[in-house]
Amino acid sequence: MTVVGTGGRGQRPLGGRVVRLGIVLAIAFGGVALGAGYWQVLRADDLSHDPTDAGVIAAARSTVRGRILDRDGHVLATNRRDTSGELYRVYADRSLSAPLGYVSSLYGSAGLEAADASVLLGLGGDDALSRALAKFRAPARRGDDLRTSLSLTLQRLAVRLLGADRGAVVALDPRTGDVLALASTPTFDASGIADPATARAAFAAALDDPGQPLLDRATQGLYVPGSAFKIVTAIAGFSSGAINAATAFPQQPGDETTGLLVDGFRIVDGHHLFTGSEVLDFARATEVSCNIWYALAGLRTGGAAMDAAARRLGFGAPIPFDLPTAISQLTNGGGPLAGGFADDVELANAAYGQGEVLVTPLQMALVAATVANGGVEPRPRLVTALVSPSGAVGNVPAATLGRVLSAQDAATIAGAMVQAVEGVDGQKFTAGAQVAGVTVAGKTGTAQLGGTGEPNSWFIGFAPAEAPTIALAVIVEHGGSGGSRAAPLAGDLLRAYFAGQP
Amino acid sequence: MTVTALPGFPRPVPRWRELGLLAVVAVTLLLGGLSLGTTRTGSLALAHPAGLATYLGALAAVHLALVLAGRRVDEVLLPTVGMLGGIGLLLAERLPQDLVVQRVGSATLGLASLQLIWLVLALAIAGSVAIAVRSDRWLRVYKYSWAALGLGLLLLTFVFGREVNGSILTLDLGPVSWQPSELLKVILVVFFAAYLAENRVLLADARVHVAGRLTLPPAPYLLPAALMLALALGIVVIQRDLGAALLFFSVFLCLFYLASGSKVDVLVGIALFLLGFAVLALVFATAHERVAIWLDPWSDPLGTGYQTIQALHAFARGGLLGTGLGAGLPAVAGQLPIPAVHTDFPLAALGEELGMTGVVAILGCYLVIVARGLRIAAGAADDVRALLAAGLALVIGVQAVIIAAGNLKLIPLTGITLPFISYGGSSLVVNGLVVGLLLAFSDRGPAPLAEPRPARRLGRQQA
Repeated sequence: MTVVGTGGRGQRPLGGRVVRLGIVLAIAFGGVALGAGYWQVLRADDLSHDPTDAGVIAAARSTVRGRILDRDGHVLATNRRDTSGELYRVYADRSLSAPLGYVSSLYGSAGLEAADASVLLGLGGDDALSRALAKFRAPARRGDDLRTSLSLTLQRLAVRLLGADRGAVVALDPRTGDVLALASTPTFDASGIADPATARAAFAAALDDPGQPLLDRATQGLYVPGSAFKIVTAIAGFSSGAINAATAFPQQPGDETTGLLVDGFRIVDGHHLFTGSEVLDFARATEVSCNIWYALAGLRTGGAAMDAAARRLGFGAPIPFDLPTAISQLTNGGGPLAGGFADDVELANAAYGQGEVLVTPLQMALVAATVANGGVEPRPRLVTALVSPSGAVGNVPAATLGRVLSAQDAATIAGAMVQAVEGVDGQKFTAGAQVAGVTVAGKTGTAQLGGTGEPNSWFIGFAPAEAPTIALAVIVEHGGSGGSRAAPLAGDLLRAYFAGQP
Repeated sequence: MTVTALPGFPRPVPRWRELGLLAVVAVTLLLGGLSLGTTRTGSLALAHPAGLATYLGALAAVHLALVLAGRRVDEVLLPTVGMLGGIGLLLAERLPQDLVVQRVGSATLGLASLQLIWLVLALAIAGSVAIAVRSDRWLRVYKYSWAALGLGLLLLTFVFGREVNGSILTLDLGPVSWQPSELLKVILVVFFAAYLAENRVLLADARVHVAGRLTLPPAPYLLPAALMLALALGIVVIQRDLGAALLFFSVFLCLFYLASGSKVDVLVGIALFLLGFAVLALVFATAHERVAIWLDPWSDPLGTGYQTIQALHAFARGGLLGTGLGAGLPAVAGQLPIPAVHTDFPLAALGEELGMTGVVAILGCYLVIVARGLRIAAGAADDVRALLAAGLALVIGVQAVIIAAGNLKLIPLTGITLPFISYGGSSLVVNGLVVGLLLAFSDRGPAPLAEPRPARRLGRQQA
């Protein structure tokens, strides 16, 4: 059958080709092995700790879930047995429904209960090696406790202050990113959903509530920020060099009365005519919350620098956090101008927090915390330590999201924010945020929503201004002006916070 | 040890290497059974001792038969296949027995018992074929008859086949359901080997210029290649069986390369297949859906993407070392997370319980089979024999790659079996036949007599 002859490829022995084919097959097998490595090592933690993982779900039925504690050791979530011996979850308070979520045999889980299910169920071990070593230990019957940074006192107060309104409060320590309060109203009855005896009614009540309590507004709510966003514009302008403390626009006083003409669209600013013909600098413009000044500053800064600063702050991507977060946006994207702006009108409007800007309360709290922390943005942290049943403590280290602007620029912006609360004209809007004996820095926002409803009321700020230990963001839906609702709420919260400090 | 031949029987040839490797296999499987039993009962116990004993006994019997038959055939293939089959048996024992239930007479057999029966049958076929087949004349001379038989089988399935999971793969013959594409792969290898060997010179050297430096074999000699492409795509269309199509076409291209030595031809073939498949994926819903699930199973996590996602989670739960046999695959409310785990996703189950280490070891076993097959090809006496051996080994190796890569979401998932491990009678029996043929073709001839001769050269011997 063999062909006799020399020369052509069709007559050479097959040996060399067989070897080459073997190499190709070996490469294919190697590729499959690499695929196994990808899923079994690189993605192992990510997938096997996912709340939808069958292992996590199965463990939930056989393991005593770890407790959740606040920063002072108060128990926020623990377990109880029903008459048939099945374990179910009990929460300290309704005020915790947003950050902690719930866990139910009927309705799955949400919030921290979902996000950290694998730890609470004792399936921890973070890297491939410790997971491998964990095989040699007896399976956990009891999960790890989570120690959180929350303050039950502040959390309760924040929810009580929001009252019947819909809204959110995020308070955190700007030095560490520790979240002290993460309130969202209305709340829901998480203990009711967790208890099999009342789960159906409690879950139905939460679903049917027009206030959508199952939505965690603090991390998932997207709001028009209004003037509170001016701090982002200031960060963009200062860090790009487009504006400085002395920046002033000679046309600004005149435009206060006639309106600022941008691309044929007239931007009007009616709320501080009392400054008359005064040409405002950065601090004064921040104090009286001048839309014209900020529109001009935004136009000078430009879309690209606005976009870059917003991205450094965490816009455009989920914020790395213990809980899932919605993505804050500067624009809808897709516009022809740098940064995705459709035109200069949108850019000018965005500079004072209107346009297409949408933010989460957590994002705005981080903006305040960045200024408070000398320009370095802390990475928000809810869980500070894992405590195993044997008492071993694994601390979750604090981290930062990087420097957003220079310490000097941060100090300048902080100074303007102090003036906005404590200054002669600033007081006219923001006196409610003042705390006796403590210098408060802040910025209100009154977000027009279109239509006839009351605007959303915003306040972001921090205190003490000289050495901040708390930064916060407050949003009250349809609460009216920032000064009338959100700022006094923040003041009450800060007073309680500093009263509780030794 | 001296072995003397009984009159009328061949002189037995000891197979120490095979025996040693089989001992490794036996120890490994016993440890696996011990691990599974201990996990299950909580105290030291061996899972399914009778089943394991039967299986190891069958392996020993094939070994003994080869020794007694005195044929000097490959000594690595049987232990390698034995290891894979044993792992499959442990997996079948580990999974819920009611995944497959069949009534035979008055007895009701579950998954592990059925798998054991098919495994022993496959080993028996492998051993008998290895001993009985002395010539490949019957394969090469009737190549067109074989091809016709293959197409007939395909047609039969198309006409009388039963649809399972959107693919027409199964033919019901009384109580036994049969997947003809399993046998078809062997028949096609036989046809390709014979055809390509016969037309090697023309395919490789009578080139026609197409464009620039691109040359292809003359059109008439490409006809079988074109037919093969049509057949592969036809299988995708008619049976909606992407796995078999991919397998047939890949093996065909590999053999074509061996015969012609032209990488360009292979690249053109791959391009045409991908193009054809892309068109089909746009036209046919099943193919389209498979690709969509592959690209983003998370778009429908509880529906079409469910099994794929659960398989990836299983791999992830396994990590480096695995949970241990019997300790993985958490059942929630009595339901396994992966319903078709025993047929389509055995690697995911093993990846969970044996870890990445286990997956790599299993892949290594398949690579050993490929290496042995290619070695047999390199040492074969002529082209037909060489292409036959290479093709048979590739059928196993490429099939393993396709389904393993599908489980790991590297390529779209297909419903073909993981050779020797997946549950399935057709697959086990046909793969047993393949191993038997490979063993038979590896025969190095009668042992040298007293006078030692120089070692035989590897490589093709001139006739």
